[in-house]
Amino acid sequence: MYETLGIWAGAFFTLAIYSFLYKENPIYRLAEHLVVGISAGYGMAVTYEITLKPRLIEPLLSGDHWVLIIPGILGILYITRFIPGIAWLSRYPIAFYMGTSMGVAFPLTMKASVLRQLEGAMVPLFQEGMPWYTSLGNVVMILGTLAALIYFFFSKPHKGLFFGTGSKIGIWIIMLGFGATFGFTVMGRISLLIGRVQYLLGDWLHLIE
Amino acid sequence: MSAVSIWEKMLNIDRRWIFLSIGVVSIVPFFINFGMPVVTTDEVEGIFDYMDELGPENAIFVSFDFAPGTQAENMPMAIGVIRHALHNNVPVFMTANYPLHHGMMLAAMEYILNPNTIGYYQDVPFDEWSDLRESGIVARDDLEEAWEGQGNQLPEGALGWAFEGRDYAMLGYAPVFNLVILGMTSSIQTQYPVDTHGNPTSEMPMLQEHKNLREVDMALSCSGSAACVWWVTYAREKIGLPIAFGVTAVMATDYFPYIQTGQVIGQMGGLRGAAEYEVLLAENGITPSTDKAFTGMDVQSAAHILIILFIIMGNIAYFAGGFHKQKTLKGRG
Repeated sequence: MYETLGIWAGAFFTLAIYSFLYKENPIYRLAEHLVVGISAGYGMAVTYEITLKPRLIEPLLSGDHWVLIIPGILGILYITRFIPGIAWLSRYPIAFYMGTSMGVAFPLTMKASVLRQLEGAMVPLFQEGMPWYTSLGNVVMILGTLAALIYFFFSKPHKGLFFGTGSKIGIWIIMLGFGATFGFTVMGRISLLIGRVQYLLGDWLHLIE
Repeated sequence: MSAVSIWEKMLNIDRRWIFLSIGVVSIVPFFINFGMPVVTTDEVEGIFDYMDELGPENAIFVSFDFAPGTQAENMPMAIGVIRHALHNNVPVFMTANYPLHHGMMLAAMEYILNPNTIGYYQDVPFDEWSDLRESGIVARDDLEEAWEGQGNQLPEGALGWAFEGRDYAMLGYAPVFNLVILGMTSSIQTQYPVDTHGNPTSEMPMLQEHKNLREVDMALSCSGSAACVWWVTYAREKIGLPIAFGVTAVMATDYFPYIQTGQVIGQMGGLRGAAEYEVLLAENGITPSTDKAFTGMDVQSAAHILIILFIIMGNIAYFAGGFHKQKTLKGRG
């Protein structure tokens, strides 16, 4: 019974959201607001049920983990943002969070997203036994990377062989990247539509398996 | 008042006709099966081959890093890899990096363990096999034998048993997930003292054998956001954990560089990537048939053909109508 109700509700709100494609209407607005409200409510319930309750409230009430009172107080200080007189207290948990996050993230992020990528761009253009297509791929990758970087170098006018031609090649490389991303984006959006059509035709109307 | 040319009409067509066309094309192929082939790519085969080498002594993580908005793309990827793991008796830890993603994890397992699903796995909740656990029977083969020795029969249509705590553990959502990954490099149990159902993880055989991420063999991040990079940053770079990506099509191009550098072993990009994994599962007899992602690929192809036609028609109208010589289209200010 509840499952059937859920499926009908899902179908109704799917159609309500797609009704926007015809024109803006109150049913669409209702569905849009419900998405925001229900997502926030669900998030709060899950956070309380599987984070706050078992990881903070219950251990504190059991009396064995008094050290948890420190993160508990820091968490409560966030809420002081809503009380103008003591809103400044909320800066302490934010500062703590930003400080630890930066400290933990910086060295590993540098390694994962900068140094490794630089390493990945340092490949031989040609060596004995290397297939021609690998060699060509490496040439395109290295020249493409350099050309794209030249395009974003704004301290010199984009004129002459190095900066002028380099930035022109760079914009072509960037456009190719945008084209690939656009193609994937179209595919992604159609995939989401397919998911909804499968729900409507399958789960709701039982017309397909 | 000058007459409106056909080219101008084409360029100013009401966009609702285009939406309607896409809608029709997205429905018809579900009833008329074109059977267009799905050719597998190296990026997806890389994940499949790696997974296929694993056995009961190994373990993997599947991280649900996506919300309902990208469920159509990300969910089949997670389901495919979990089914592969269950088939090979590879223990699967499941996590989520956001409260909404936690719901996706529950939905995925509900589907895999649902008797109405073709090729489902019969769930054995943690409490139901506590007697066997307490008597020290925790090795995968021994456990199945002992369980069936108690008179339990695998239902018709089920591909195998799924013992909670031995074959899978739903760890679920934990806040500030990047730090949770970092913490799990030392101890999974300190980050998740209990699982989603309140079962103590310290009593789970799979956690006793794999105490931290250093003792795990792969993490797949099924992601609708940049959260997948956290696994590379905090697990791959810190302890060398092999990572695989299951990302939405929109994100796919952003993460190819991580394949080239060897930081990830493979990537499933969008519904297409998920369909490829389903094809590999079915071709290798791991699942009886392909699933929802593959079914959607005919629609995907038909919709792409239509969009290409629209782009070609739009360009013909633009140039044939001489609009490339004008600053604005008529009627558009």
